[in-house]
Amino acid sequence: MTTQTAIHTQGLTKHYGTVEALIDLDLDVLPGEVFGFLGPNGAGKTTTIRTLLDEIRPTAGTASILGMDCRRDSVAIRRRLGYVPGDLALYPSLTGRDTLTYFANLRGGVDWTYVDELAGRLDADLAKKIGDLSSGNRQKVGLIQAFMNRPDVLIMDEPSSGLDPLVQREFHTMMREVAAEGRAVFLSSHTLSEVQRVADRVGILRHGRLIALESVSEMRSKAIRQVVFEFGSPVDPAVFDGVPGVRSVEVTNGRTVLSFDGKMAALLTIAEQHDVLDVTTEEADLEEIFLTYYRDEAVTA
Amino acid sequence: MIFATVTTKTIRDRWEGWLIATVVMGLMLWWVMSIYSQIDLSFYTSMPQVFRSMMNISSEADVGSLAYGVMYASYGALTLAALALAMGGASIAGEERDGTIGLLLANPKSRTRVLASKAAALVLLAGFGALVLWAAARIVPAAVGVRIGGMHPGALIFEMFVNALFYGFLAMAIGAWTGRASLATGATTGVMVLSWIAVGMFPVIKGWAGVAKAFPWYYYDAGKPALNGVDWGRLSVLLGGIVVFAAVAVVGVNRRDLRGQSVGATVFDRLRSNPATKKFADRLAGSARVSRIWVKTVSEHQGLVIVVSYIMFLGMGVLIGLLYGLIDQAVQKFAGQLPKTLLAMVGNGDMRTPEGFFQVETFSMTAPIALMVVTVVMGARALAGEEGRRTMGLLLANPVPRSKVVIEKALAMVVNAVLVGFATFAGVVVGSWLGRLGMDIGDIAATSALATLLGLVFGGLALALSGGTGRTTIAVYVTSGVALAAYLLNSFLPLSATLAGWVRWSPFYYYLRGDPLNRGMDWGSCALLAGLFVGLVALAVVLFRRRDLRQVG
Repeated sequence: MTTQTAIHTQGLTKHYGTVEALIDLDLDVLPGEVFGFLGPNGAGKTTTIRTLLDEIRPTAGTASILGMDCRRDSVAIRRRLGYVPGDLALYPSLTGRDTLTYFANLRGGVDWTYVDELAGRLDADLAKKIGDLSSGNRQKVGLIQAFMNRPDVLIMDEPSSGLDPLVQREFHTMMREVAAEGRAVFLSSHTLSEVQRVADRVGILRHGRLIALESVSEMRSKAIRQVVFEFGSPVDPAVFDGVPGVRSVEVTNGRTVLSFDGKMAALLTIAEQHDVLDVTTEEADLEEIFLTYYRDEAVTA
Repeated sequence: MIFATVTTKTIRDRWEGWLIATVVMGLMLWWVMSIYSQIDLSFYTSMPQVFRSMMNISSEADVGSLAYGVMYASYGALTLAALALAMGGASIAGEERDGTIGLLLANPKSRTRVLASKAAALVLLAGFGALVLWAAARIVPAAVGVRIGGMHPGALIFEMFVNALFYGFLAMAIGAWTGRASLATGATTGVMVLSWIAVGMFPVIKGWAGVAKAFPWYYYDAGKPALNGVDWGRLSVLLGGIVVFAAVAVVGVNRRDLRGQSVGATVFDRLRSNPATKKFADRLAGSARVSRIWVKTVSEHQGLVIVVSYIMFLGMGVLIGLLYGLIDQAVQKFAGQLPKTLLAMVGNGDMRTPEGFFQVETFSMTAPIALMVVTVVMGARALAGEEGRRTMGLLLANPVPRSKVVIEKALAMVVNAVLVGFATFAGVVVGSWLGRLGMDIGDIAATSALATLLGLVFGGLALALSGGTGRTTIAVYVTSGVALAAYLLNSFLPLSATLAGWVRWSPFYYYLRGDPLNRGMDWGSCALLAGLFVGLVALAVVLFRRRDLRQVG
């Protein structure tokens, strides 16, 4: 498992008639990571996922999961896969427990104490019929269904839609646990804060093309944030000139405020040479970065 | 102008179904009329007047005009009424089922207003369908060269229009009152089919003819509008019904809470919540039901199967057996004189024997229809239904190959078809025993088995279409069309000397060709129908494995 990629695609392309839904996607998702898959509506995220699941067949290119071909070895792959489709639909006349029993029977080897543990963590009511549940509560059944066989790869399309903030938090913990155990999570999401919180790496799709692929920490280090120094004696703003990443320096009421998108070490070295009383930094917000990728001008970037 | 927009939207959603169905009816009329016009006329001229009027032919008209009675008055009227009741039942309840009613009623218009818009769409589309039928009724005789002097196709079609609205508004009233579209269409279909059967059956039974008046179909059918023109007296009963149903719908929809997309509680749910029965009910309704794909599929259609089996057992089996002894002797004697060509129209049964009577009433048409209702619905929903409800992706995320899903769904279809087939068999056996008719049990079993296989052939076709296209509506409409054409082919082609050979292309031909009710199983036909079913399932596997799953919604 350590040597294999969890998900691998090469030149993956899908056309619907003349519409190019997905163009030449090269992607590797590694075991032990949560991979965030982002992009505006209609970017091709769901098309990618449906191709991985063999629901639809690529026009060109290949995809593999755990070293097995998504088309040829689809059944073998699905033994080791957990899946939450976007816009989840379940059988309305079955209870949550019936639904899970059905899928457990199709899979075999599901540990029911683990199912009950998951239900407890997500606060899911399995006795009610699916049709009588709110969409958030329905979503919980979908999540349990995906986690219950401890899959090596979890593929989820907008999984936290409808969940309340407390359950979302628990769900994020569950995803991190999966990654910590060396399993992989492929998370397609619109909730930027969620991706920022749980993902190790992020891929951004636009108009069917992958336009960015970076680790979240790398992205964070590139994010413009505010760094505020308080010095014991006035410091000339010019001392920060030439430090990589410093965009602007302002001095007000004895506080030096910098707009900064570089590595902190270089900045701190300069600051140390003066009488630093306090330093505060605002956490980098990736949302703006994501949004620039979403906007049209980013296509050529 | 919500009135205009709700009406026009409803029309836009539904007009294709009406157009296709009525155009097909028109083509069928053409076809049947051209076959009838080739029939040897000698038997016709020698027929007693009473029989001529029974067959709906005026004294000035050619025998070809029989086609009005055969095609339009029964199949056409049933089709129009079925289209109308599907629309009526869905008018408010359908939007509740789809979860769109909240949004619709968030507009500043009353429920009554929305209902009225839906009703207007229903009337307009039924009128449109009637218009297409009327055009065909005028064009076809001219094209085929059949004289229709003294016939009143316009009156017939007008009565069909009113008749269709009667069932449409009945379904609308039930749907508006309960908020359940499936209950509305199911119950109304039941009323329609039962009264259609009753009106065909009771008049041939001595002393029971008056019972037919208890069924609404009588008020459309009994006046023989194609021959006698509009029968305003009887028709006013239907018109009165429409007004009453409309009023009931308005009251019903305004008095109740709108339904969310919730599911009702079944008997099993109640048993499951009762501690005394919980363990047993949990096993049956819960763990057992979801143990396999095919078991779950069988259970999803249990309501339909129970209703259809019940009708076949009691209505078409036991009751027919009891009624046989009561048939009017005159009708029996008369039936014995029917020329072979006309016997073909009523299923080739000799009404003087119990076997012939059962063939005409139970086996020739009703049993195949009953079986097909189950198999075609199951076949169409098997794959396309799960895609339409977006559960197929999740089902196939499990380590189950697509071929296995198709095969398990086909197996479920076989199980339910066998249940209906067995109910028919058991009903006829009990009916024969109660009526002391002494029919051979083996022959009844053979005929029921062949009927089951015939139903499975069309179910297999629906499954293949469902697997190939992913669309339930295509699977249902195309299969129904093919089944109707196959039935008519088998009934009418033998009447034409030149075309009789083509009858081999109809699966219906292999169902009764060996006269199984008298001579037992025809193993060749049995093998052929079974082979056809297996072939269609295999085709469904191939088609379903090849294609992309649909993404709905």
